[in-house]
Formats: sequence, structure tokens, C-alpha cells
Amino acid sequence: MSRPDRTGTIFSPPAVASGEPMRPDRAATTPVPPAARLRGLRKVYRRTVALDSVDLDVPTGAVLGLLGRNGSGKTTMLRLLLGLSRPTGGTVELLGEPMPAGASRALPHVGALVEGPGFLPFLSGRDNLARFAAAEPLVRTSAIGETVKYALRRVGLDREAAIDRAYRGHSPGVKQRLGLAAALLAPRRLVVLDEPTNGLDPAGIRDVRRLIGELHAAGSTVLLSSHLLSEVEETCTHVAMLSAGTVVATGTLTELLEADGPALEICTTEQGAAMAALRQCRIPGYVERGLVIADLEDIPPDLVLSTLASAGVPVSEARRRRTGLEQLFVRLTEEGA
Amino acid sequence: MKAPVQRASRRTLAVPPAGDHHAAPLARLLRIELRTEPRRPRTLVALVVLALVPVVIGLGVSVRAADPGADRPGPGLGLITAVYGNGMMLPITALGVALHLLLPLCVCIAAADALAGEAAHGTLRGLLLAPVSRISLVWIKAFGVLAVAVLQVAVVTGTGLLAGLILVGGGDQLLTLSGSSVGLGAALARVALAAGWTVLQVAAVGAVALAISAFTDHPVVVLATVLGGAIVFGVLGAIPAMDWLRPVLLTSGWASLSDVLRDPVPGDGLTHSALLAGVYLVIGMTGAIVGTLRREA
Repeated sequence: MSRPDRTGTIFSPPAVASGEPMRPDRAATTPVPPAARLRGLRKVYRRTVALDSVDLDVPTGAVLGLLGRNGSGKTTMLRLLLGLSRPTGGTVELLGEPMPAGASRALPHVGALVEGPGFLPFLSGRDNLARFAAAEPLVRTSAIGETVKYALRRVGLDREAAIDRAYRGHSPGVKQRLGLAAALLAPRRLVVLDEPTNGLDPAGIRDVRRLIGELHAAGSTVLLSSHLLSEVEETCTHVAMLSAGTVVATGTLTELLEADGPALEICTTEQGAAMAALRQCRIPGYVERGLVIADLEDIPPDLVLSTLASAGVPVSEARRRRTGLEQLFVRLTEEGA
Repeated sequence: MKAPVQRASRRTLAVPPAGDHHAAPLARLLRIELRTEPRRPRTLVALVVLALVPVVIGLGVSVRAADPGADRPGPGLGLITAVYGNGMMLPITALGVALHLLLPLCVCIAAADALAGEAAHGTLRGLLLAPVSRISLVWIKAFGVLAVAVLQVAVVTGTGLLAGLILVGGGDQLLTLSGSSVGLGAALARVALAAGWTVLQVAAVGAVALAISAFTDHPVVVLATVLGGAIVFGVLGAIPAMDWLRPVLLTSGWASLSDVLRDPVPGDGLTHSALLAGVYLVIGMTGAIVGTLRREA
């Protein structure tokens, strides 16, 4: 339990009250099927193996962060999930539909921004969105204009004058926001975002985080790929790590962050005295990078602190240790590679 | 601020659960395609260039005709020679001239943009994710290319008629290549026949271009392949030892357009080339569907 399962554990459905947004009544009584399910997925391009034996469940209602270096297979996985590409082996299920065969039933409820925004350069941003809105089965013809306006408002482009000029002249930030808007043109049960903060300034990054939060609160499932660990750490409820085409770790964010087991980090100038006091009370501990680490597997943190206080050890700071996602990521992906 | 937005979304965006919502209405997609195509800058440039063809021929003919010292034009440009003082012939002559390079080139550009170009811009992915089924996508794109072909032929024919009446004159009748003359109504019917036949030929080229467009992400590949193919066909058609191949070469049938200008109109060449164009259309559309179904978007 102290290390994440390297074979890729199957997620248990999260305890979010929202459940499956389209059928909340059923969600309350029966177990919610995952929004996406990949089994033994394999993709080979000519002689390159892009993905191999990928098993992954995206729990309904979760915000799942897909972490991996460039070229680890994140985008390939998303493309297979969305039916843009056919798997060499294995199966893909999206909202309960086999892909790519069930694309027409699943995709109307799925919004996606994959491999950057894609728009016609000679049309304005607004007309480009209207073109995609017209292709959305869930958007009524009379509501296309309204739908586009609403999507632009959600990504903060409703007051942007450039939106009515040709797309080719837009800044990278506006282009990226338009790509996000295209993913939000209809009510979505699942939103897939491939590197959504690419090309955005800090305000744009904040907006994306807010947007993901809104989607999550509304009960949508969000699948987010990123190589930015901080982004995942701040927005996701679940994490899957991909390395060299395979899933090397999955779990809830908390599970992964406490992967090394609970511990207390203590800052003190008198490490020797601290260690002696801990040993006397049979509290396992060690010194690492100038910090005294007390193992909390069987011991409550207040006992550690009271022990140190009664021994007269000056403690300037004590905090729960969380393995940074970064540390874990480096360890898993470098061992794997 | 947020609450009214949410309410608005529910009112205007939510769709009643009843009914089949697996695809957007086809008419809506075709309308969007029709609205998008003419807004491509290169579509507009192509139309302007095509409009210049009859105007240039008309100007050339009228300048030569106005110069009493000039020799009568020599042989080789039979169709153009025949335009002298014979304005109703100009649209048909212009179609014949444009069909040999400009019209195939222009329809090729449209077909290249239709699938390969959309793939290069990343918009094909967006349409497939909406989702638009791959088969529907091919039909929508074929419809768009056909619309462009019709527009291009209409522009050549229309400016041809205008330039014939204004620059060349003699528009009250058509002097055929056989020496007889036919009245205005019959002349217009022949122009319409020539235009319709040309649309079919251009559509055949467009279908083949669309097939190649379905197999690549690079619009230039489509242009190079189709125009290269047209040149190879032209060479093959000109080699005497390759005579047996001529009946299946689309380009070899194009000479029969001048049959429209004979009296009576010999139907064999026109019919054969029309049927051949139909075969190329079927082959091209099959290729476009296969390529799009196989495509990694």
C-alpha cells in the first residue's frame, strides 16, 4: 500500500454526489460505469509501438490528469479513445459505447480539444465555431448563434474584438481559447483536453482551471493530458501516469501524493537530540536532507510533537510529508524508461 | 453573473431527449459547406482567373478583327479562329480552352482543400468529433467540390456570353463549324449542353482529386498527382502506339466538346466522354470513401 500499484489499478468510482450527469436517478442506485474504459490497448505505427497493454478506467465525475513526457503516448491514447484512430489491439469504451464503432452515439456527449486548436484560417473565430456548432447533433439549428455566444463567454472571449476577424490573425492565446470553446459547444458528459494551457498566459491558465472546476462541479467528467505537474496537482482528482506507451501508475491524487506512506517532516537545529527523543519513545525516524522524518504509519502526529516538546527539542516547523507529484513522476518514468 | 449564464444555457442549448440526435441534420451541414467554400480566398482567385479566359479570347479576337492589316489567323487554333464575328461561339470556345488546364487545376484546388486541407488545418478532426460520420463527410465534401465546379463552369460560360455579345458581336445567331447557322434559342441550348457536359468532366476530375485528398494530409500532393496525371494522360493520348488506351483516357474525350459546334451535333464523342466521366466519378467517389474510412484523423 506504500507504493502505487505499478500494473495500473482500476479506479473505484469516486464518491462525488453528482454521479452521472445525464441520469442522476440511476446513478444513485446502481454503480456508475466509467466514462471511459481502455483494455489491453495497443497501437503500432509502422514499426513504432506508441501504446502497449494500456488498461485504464476514467471514473464518471472525476477530473483525471494524464501525465507523461512528450512522446509517452498521451495524445495517441486520447485519439484512440475518441475514435480518431483505430487501435492495433485491445478495446476502447467511451460512455459505454465501443469505439470507434459507437462514435455516433458517444461523441455528441463528448467535447474535445486534441492536438491543439484546429480552425479554418480564412474564417473568423466566431464563424469557425458556428461551423462546428452546425455539426453538433445536440445543437438545434435555431440555437447555433446563441450556442457560439455562450461558448465564447465561457472561455472569456465574448468581449474580444478580434473574434470577428480572420482566425489566421489571432494570437496563440485566443486560438487556444477558441479550441476550448469548440469543446464546450454542447452539454458534455465528458470533456477531453489535450494540453489545454498551451500558449496561455497566467490569466488564461487560471481561466482553464476555473473552467475545469465548473465542469467538475456540473458533474461532467474531465480527462486532461498534461506535462505540467502543477496543473494536474491543482485541478485533478485522479491521476494516471504514462511512460513509454504504458500506464505506470494510477490512483486518486491523494493516494499518489502519499505514495511513500504518511510521515512528519520536522525542522530543528538539534537533530541529534530529536532523534534520541524519538528513539526513546520507539518512534521510527531518520534524518534526510537536514530534516528529521518521523514515520506516522502507527503513530499519531501529536504524539511525535509532544515527545519532542517534553524532551526540550526546539521545533521551528513540522509538516505532513507529501511526496511531490514531481518526485513520483520522475521516479516512475525514469525507472520505466 | 454566472447564474444567468447557466440558466441561459439550459434554456437554449438543452435538447429534448426524445428523437434521434446521433447526427446533425444533413441539410444544415450542406448549407454550411456551401457558405464556407466561396469564402476561401483561393476559390475567389480561381473564379477571377476563369472569368478572364473568355475576356482575353474575346479581346484578342476583336483586336485582330479591328486591324485590317493583320493576316487572318493561321491554322491550329481552329476553335478560336471560328470566334471571329461569331460571339455565341465564345462561351463554348472558352470552356474548351479552360477545360484543358485551368478548370482541372481550379477544381483540384477545391478538392485538395476539402479533405487534405481540412486535415492540415486540424478541422477535419473537429468535424469527426462533432460527430459527422466519415461517409457523410465524404458526401458533404463531394457536394462542396461539385458546387465549386458548377460555379466555375458557370463563370466561364456567363462571362463568355457577355464577352461574346459585347466584344465580338454577332450574337443573334451561331455560325457552326459545319458552315450552317442556327438561331439564338438553339445556340443557347448548345451553350447549355456544352456547360453541362463540361461540369460532368470537371466533376470527374474533382472526384479523382477528392479520392487522393482522402489519402493525404498535404493539399499539394493532390495538385501534383492530378495535374501530373492529366499531363501523362495527354502524352499517352498523343502516342500513336497507345491508340488502344485512348478510349479510357478522360483527357482524350475532351476534344469532343467542339462537336457541340457542328451541325448536326454528332453524339458519339460527347456521349462516350460523358459516360467515361461517369466511370471516373464512381471510381473517384469510391476512392474518397475508402480513404476517409481508413484515415487516421
